Amino acid sequence: MLGNELLAAAVNAGQTLIGLVWHPYATYRRILEKGRIAELVYIALLLAIYFAVASLVKTAAFRPFLLTKQFVLLTAAVGANYAVAVGLLWYTGLLVGGRGRLDRFALAWAYTLIPTLCWFLATSLLYVVIPPPRTTAPQGILFSVLYLVFSSTLLFWKVTLAYLTLRFGLKLDLKKISIVFAVVVPALVVYSAGMYKAGIFRIPFL
Amino acid sequence: MNDAVYKKFVKRWEEVTEIPPQTLGPATPLYKMAVSKLKVMPWPALVLVSTLLVIGIYFLIGSGIVFLVTLLQRGF
Repeated sequence: MLGNELLAAAVNAGQTLIGLVWHPYATYRRILEKGRIAELVYIALLLAIYFAVASLVKTAAFRPFLLTKQFVLLTAAVGANYAVAVGLLWYTGLLVGGRGRLDRFALAWAYTLIPTLCWFLATSLLYVVIPPPRTTAPQGILFSVLYLVFSSTLLFWKVTLAYLTLRFGLKLDLKKISIVFAVVVPALVVYSAGMYKAGIFRIPFL
Repeated sequence: MNDAVYKKFVKRWEEVTEIPPQTLGPATPLYKMAVSKLKVMPWPALVLVSTLLVIGIYFLIGSGIVFLVTLLQRGF
Protein backbone atom coordinates (compact mmCIF):
# COMPACT_ATOMS: atom_id res chain seq x y z
CA MET A 1 0.00 0.00 0.00
CA LEU A 2 2.76 2.42 1.01
CA GLY A 3 4.81 1.21 -1.95
CA ASN A 4 1.94 1.97 -4.34
CA GLU A 5 1.46 5.41 -2.82
CA LEU A 6 5.17 6.21 -3.16
CA LEU A 7 5.22 4.95 -6.74
CA ALA A 8 2.16 7.02 -7.67
CA ALA A 9 3.71 10.04 -5.93
CA ALA A 10 6.97 9.49 -7.86
CA VAL A 11 5.09 9.55 -11.18
CA ASN A 12 3.18 12.68 -10.09
CA ALA A 13 6.37 14.39 -8.91
CA GLY A 14 8.14 13.60 -12.19
CA GLN A 15 5.24 14.97 -14.25
CA THR A 16 5.04 18.05 -12.04
CA LEU A 17 8.76 18.82 -12.28
CA ILE A 18 8.54 18.74 -16.09
CA GLY A 19 5.28 20.68 -15.99
CA LEU A 20 6.78 23.46 -13.85
CA VAL A 21 9.20 24.16 -16.68
CA TRP A 22 6.82 23.91 -19.66
CA HIS A 23 3.36 24.93 -18.44
CA PRO A 24 3.40 26.17 -14.84
CA TYR A 25 -0.24 27.36 -14.74
CA ALA A 26 -1.78 24.02 -15.76
CA THR A 27 0.70 22.19 -13.52
CA TYR A 28 -0.25 24.24 -10.48
CA ARG A 29 -3.93 23.61 -11.10
CA ARG A 30 -3.10 19.88 -11.23
CA ILE A 31 -1.02 19.99 -8.00
CA LEU A 32 -3.90 21.61 -6.16
CA GLU A 33 -6.49 19.22 -7.60
CA LYS A 34 -4.66 15.90 -7.51
CA GLY A 35 -1.41 16.43 -5.58
CA ARG A 36 -0.28 13.72 -3.14
CA ILE A 37 1.41 14.67 0.09
CA ALA A 38 3.88 11.78 -0.49
CA GLU A 39 5.40 13.89 -3.29
CA LEU A 40 7.11 15.83 -0.50
CA VAL A 41 9.40 12.80 -0.05
CA TYR A 42 10.89 13.34 -3.52
CA ILE A 43 11.28 17.08 -3.06
CA ALA A 44 13.02 16.37 0.27
CA LEU A 45 15.27 13.87 -1.52
CA LEU A 46 16.30 16.48 -4.11
CA LEU A 47 16.99 18.96 -1.31
CA ALA A 48 19.04 16.34 0.57
CA ILE A 49 21.25 15.89 -2.53
CA TYR A 50 21.86 19.64 -2.54
CA PHE A 51 22.61 19.71 1.21
CA ALA A 52 25.20 16.97 0.68
CA VAL A 53 26.87 18.96 -2.12
CA ALA A 54 26.70 22.23 -0.15
CA SER A 55 28.15 20.55 2.95
CA LEU A 56 31.11 19.34 0.92
CA VAL A 57 31.68 22.76 -0.65
CA LYS A 58 31.17 24.74 2.57
CA THR A 59 33.16 22.49 4.86
CA ALA A 60 36.04 22.10 2.38
CA ALA A 61 37.40 19.19 4.40
CA PHE A 62 36.47 15.53 4.20
CA ARG A 63 35.77 15.10 7.91
CA PRO A 64 32.64 13.05 8.58
CA PHE A 65 31.76 14.86 11.81
CA LEU A 66 31.93 18.34 10.26
CA LEU A 67 30.13 17.21 7.10
CA THR A 68 27.33 15.57 9.10
CA LYS A 69 27.03 18.62 11.34
CA GLN A 70 26.75 20.93 8.30
CA PHE A 71 24.25 18.59 6.61
CA VAL A 72 22.02 18.41 9.71
CA LEU A 73 22.25 22.18 10.20
CA LEU A 74 21.20 22.91 6.59
CA THR A 75 18.38 20.33 6.71
CA ALA A 76 16.99 21.69 9.98
CA ALA A 77 17.25 25.31 8.82
CA VAL A 78 15.49 24.67 5.50
CA GLY A 79 12.82 22.59 7.27
CA ALA A 80 12.22 25.48 9.67
CA ASN A 81 12.20 28.02 6.80
CA TYR A 82 9.61 25.94 4.94
CA ALA A 83 7.36 25.53 7.99
CA VAL A 84 7.55 29.25 8.85
CA ALA A 85 6.82 30.32 5.25
CA VAL A 86 3.87 27.90 4.85
CA GLY A 87 2.44 28.87 8.25
CA LEU A 88 2.70 32.62 7.64
CA LEU A 89 1.29 32.44 4.10
CA TRP A 90 -1.54 30.08 5.07
CA TYR A 91 -2.78 32.02 8.08
CA THR A 92 -2.38 35.42 6.42
CA GLY A 93 -4.19 34.04 3.37
CA LEU A 94 -7.06 32.81 5.54
CA LEU A 95 -7.29 36.23 7.22
CA VAL A 96 -7.89 37.92 3.86
CA GLY A 97 -10.59 35.41 2.91
CA GLY A 98 -8.63 32.55 1.35
CA ARG A 99 -9.94 28.99 1.30
CA GLY A 100 -8.33 25.70 0.39
CA ARG A 101 -6.62 22.58 1.74
CA LEU A 102 -3.51 23.01 3.88
CA ASP A 103 -1.86 19.75 2.68
CA ARG A 104 -2.14 20.71 -1.00
CA PHE A 105 -1.10 24.29 -0.25
CA ALA A 106 1.99 22.99 1.59
CA LEU A 107 2.78 20.72 -1.37
CA ALA A 108 2.36 23.60 -3.85
CA TRP A 109 4.70 25.78 -1.77
CA ALA A 110 7.23 22.93 -1.62
CA TYR A 111 7.40 22.99 -5.44
CA THR A 112 8.37 26.68 -5.27
CA LEU A 113 11.61 25.44 -3.66
CA ILE A 114 12.66 23.95 -7.02
CA PRO A 115 13.87 27.29 -8.50
CA THR A 116 15.59 28.03 -5.17
CA LEU A 117 17.25 24.62 -5.29
CA CYS A 118 18.42 25.18 -8.89
CA TRP A 119 19.96 28.55 -7.93
CA PHE A 120 21.70 27.26 -4.80
CA LEU A 121 22.99 24.15 -6.58
CA ALA A 122 24.33 26.14 -9.54
CA THR A 123 25.89 28.73 -7.21
CA SER A 124 27.57 26.02 -5.11
CA LEU A 125 29.02 24.35 -8.19
CA LEU A 126 30.13 27.67 -9.69
CA TYR A 127 31.81 28.48 -6.36
CA VAL A 128 34.05 25.48 -6.98
CA VAL A 129 34.56 25.94 -10.74
CA ILE A 130 34.91 29.76 -10.85
CA PRO A 131 35.40 30.89 -7.23
CA PRO A 132 34.76 34.54 -6.30
CA PRO A 133 35.83 37.35 -6.19
CA ARG A 134 35.01 38.55 -9.70
CA THR A 135 37.19 41.22 -11.31
CA THR A 136 36.29 44.20 -13.47
CA ALA A 137 38.08 42.66 -16.47
CA PRO A 138 35.81 42.10 -19.51
CA GLN A 139 35.55 38.38 -18.69
CA GLY A 140 34.52 39.21 -15.11
CA ILE A 141 31.84 41.63 -16.27
CA LEU A 142 30.56 39.20 -18.91
CA PHE A 143 30.33 36.42 -16.33
CA SER A 144 28.61 38.80 -13.89
CA VAL A 145 26.01 39.81 -16.47
CA LEU A 146 25.28 36.18 -17.41
CA TYR A 147 25.12 35.13 -13.76
CA LEU A 148 22.72 37.95 -12.91
CA VAL A 149 20.48 37.12 -15.89
CA PHE A 150 20.45 33.50 -14.74
CA SER A 151 19.71 34.50 -11.13
CA SER A 152 16.92 36.93 -11.96
CA THR A 153 15.32 34.48 -14.41
CA LEU A 154 15.11 31.91 -11.60
CA LEU A 155 13.84 34.59 -9.22
CA PHE A 156 11.00 35.52 -11.63
CA TRP A 157 10.20 31.82 -12.05
CA LYS A 158 10.04 31.50 -8.26
CA VAL A 159 7.78 34.57 -7.97
CA THR A 160 5.46 33.12 -10.64
CA LEU A 161 5.20 29.81 -8.76
CA ALA A 162 4.64 31.62 -5.43
CA TYR A 163 1.85 33.66 -7.07
CA LEU A 164 0.25 30.48 -8.45
CA THR A 165 0.42 28.83 -5.01
CA LEU A 166 -1.65 31.64 -3.52
CA ARG A 167 -3.90 32.05 -6.57
CA PHE A 168 -4.91 28.39 -6.82
CA GLY A 169 -4.06 27.17 -3.30
CA LEU A 170 -6.04 29.83 -1.46
CA LYS A 171 -8.19 31.04 -4.39
CA LEU A 172 -7.15 34.66 -3.94
CA ASP A 173 -7.16 37.50 -6.46
CA LEU A 174 -4.16 39.70 -7.23
CA LYS A 175 -5.15 42.40 -4.70
CA LYS A 176 -5.38 39.91 -1.83
CA ILE A 177 -2.19 38.14 -2.95
CA SER A 178 -0.40 41.52 -2.81
CA ILE A 179 -1.74 42.07 0.73
CA VAL A 180 -0.51 38.62 1.81
CA PHE A 181 2.95 39.27 0.35
CA ALA A 182 3.05 42.77 1.91
CA VAL A 183 2.48 41.17 5.33
CA VAL A 184 4.58 38.02 4.94
CA VAL A 185 7.65 39.31 3.07
CA PRO A 186 8.79 41.78 5.81
CA ALA A 187 8.28 39.02 8.42
CA LEU A 188 10.41 36.67 6.33
CA VAL A 189 13.07 39.36 5.91
CA VAL A 190 13.32 39.70 9.72
CA TYR A 191 13.39 35.90 10.06
CA SER A 192 16.09 35.64 7.37
CA ALA A 193 18.16 38.28 9.18
CA GLY A 194 18.04 36.00 12.22
CA MET A 195 19.25 33.07 10.09
CA TYR A 196 22.03 35.28 8.73
CA LYS A 197 23.11 36.27 12.26
CA ALA A 198 23.08 32.59 13.26
CA GLY A 199 25.54 32.02 10.38
CA ILE A 200 23.30 29.48 8.60
CA PHE A 201 22.41 31.22 5.33
CA ARG A 202 23.71 34.46 3.87
CA ILE A 203 20.88 34.32 1.33
CA PRO A 204 17.72 32.71 2.76
CA PHE A 205 16.70 29.34 1.31
CA LEU A 206 12.98 30.12 0.98
CA MET B 1 -21.98 18.29 -28.34
CA ASN B 2 -19.76 15.18 -28.19
CA ASP B 3 -18.40 13.74 -24.94
CA ALA B 4 -14.85 15.09 -25.20
CA VAL B 5 -15.97 18.65 -25.96
CA TYR B 6 -18.57 18.49 -23.18
CA LYS B 7 -16.00 17.26 -20.63
CA LYS B 8 -13.60 20.04 -21.66
CA PHE B 9 -16.41 22.56 -21.32
CA VAL B 10 -17.36 21.28 -17.83
CA LYS B 11 -13.71 21.37 -16.70
CA ARG B 12 -13.30 24.94 -17.92
CA TRP B 13 -16.63 25.93 -16.35
CA GLU B 14 -15.52 24.51 -12.98
CA GLU B 15 -12.20 26.38 -13.20
CA VAL B 16 -13.95 29.67 -13.91
CA THR B 17 -16.59 29.27 -11.21
CA GLU B 18 -14.05 28.13 -8.60
CA ILE B 19 -11.65 31.05 -9.15
CA PRO B 20 -13.19 34.00 -11.03
CA PRO B 21 -10.98 35.43 -13.82
CA GLN B 22 -8.65 38.19 -12.64
CA THR B 23 -9.49 41.72 -13.74
CA LEU B 24 -7.46 44.88 -13.11
CA GLY B 25 -9.68 47.62 -14.51
CA PRO B 26 -7.99 49.41 -17.42
CA ALA B 27 -4.82 47.31 -16.92
CA THR B 28 -6.70 44.04 -17.56
CA PRO B 29 -5.49 43.61 -21.19
CA LEU B 30 -1.89 44.14 -20.01
CA TYR B 31 -2.34 41.55 -17.25
CA LYS B 32 -3.89 39.08 -19.69
CA MET B 33 -1.00 39.61 -22.11
CA ALA B 34 1.60 39.03 -19.36
CA VAL B 35 -0.20 35.90 -18.14
CA SER B 36 -0.50 34.50 -21.66
CA LYS B 37 3.30 34.73 -21.98
CA LEU B 38 3.77 32.88 -18.67
CA LYS B 39 1.18 30.13 -19.05
CA VAL B 40 3.08 27.96 -21.52
CA MET B 41 6.88 27.92 -21.96
CA PRO B 42 7.54 31.08 -19.90
CA TRP B 43 11.33 31.07 -20.42
CA PRO B 44 11.64 33.46 -23.39
CA ALA B 45 9.62 36.09 -21.49
CA LEU B 46 11.50 35.50 -18.21
CA VAL B 47 14.93 35.67 -19.88
CA LEU B 48 13.95 38.79 -21.82
CA VAL B 49 12.74 40.64 -18.70
CA SER B 50 15.83 39.49 -16.75
CA THR B 51 18.18 40.64 -19.50
CA LEU B 52 16.53 44.07 -19.62
CA LEU B 53 16.73 44.29 -15.82
CA VAL B 54 20.44 43.37 -15.75
CA ILE B 55 21.24 45.83 -18.55
CA GLY B 56 19.43 48.47 -16.47
CA ILE B 57 21.45 47.56 -13.37
CA TYR B 58 24.67 47.66 -15.42
CA PHE B 59 23.88 51.17 -16.68
CA LEU B 60 23.04 52.20 -13.11
CA ILE B 61 26.04 50.81 -11.19
CA GLY B 62 28.48 49.96 -14.01
CA SER B 63 31.28 47.61 -13.02
CA GLY B 64 29.79 47.51 -9.49
CA ILE B 65 27.87 44.46 -10.70
CA VAL B 66 30.99 42.36 -10.15
CA PHE B 67 30.79 43.13 -6.41
CA LEU B 68 27.11 42.23 -6.40
CA VAL B 69 27.93 38.92 -8.08
CA THR B 70 30.80 38.27 -5.68
CA LEU B 71 28.37 38.72 -2.77
CA LEU B 72 25.78 36.45 -4.37
CA GLN B 73 28.37 33.79 -5.17
CA ARG B 74 29.30 33.66 -1.49
CA GLY B 75 25.66 33.61 -0.44
CA PHE B 76 24.83 29.92 -0.58
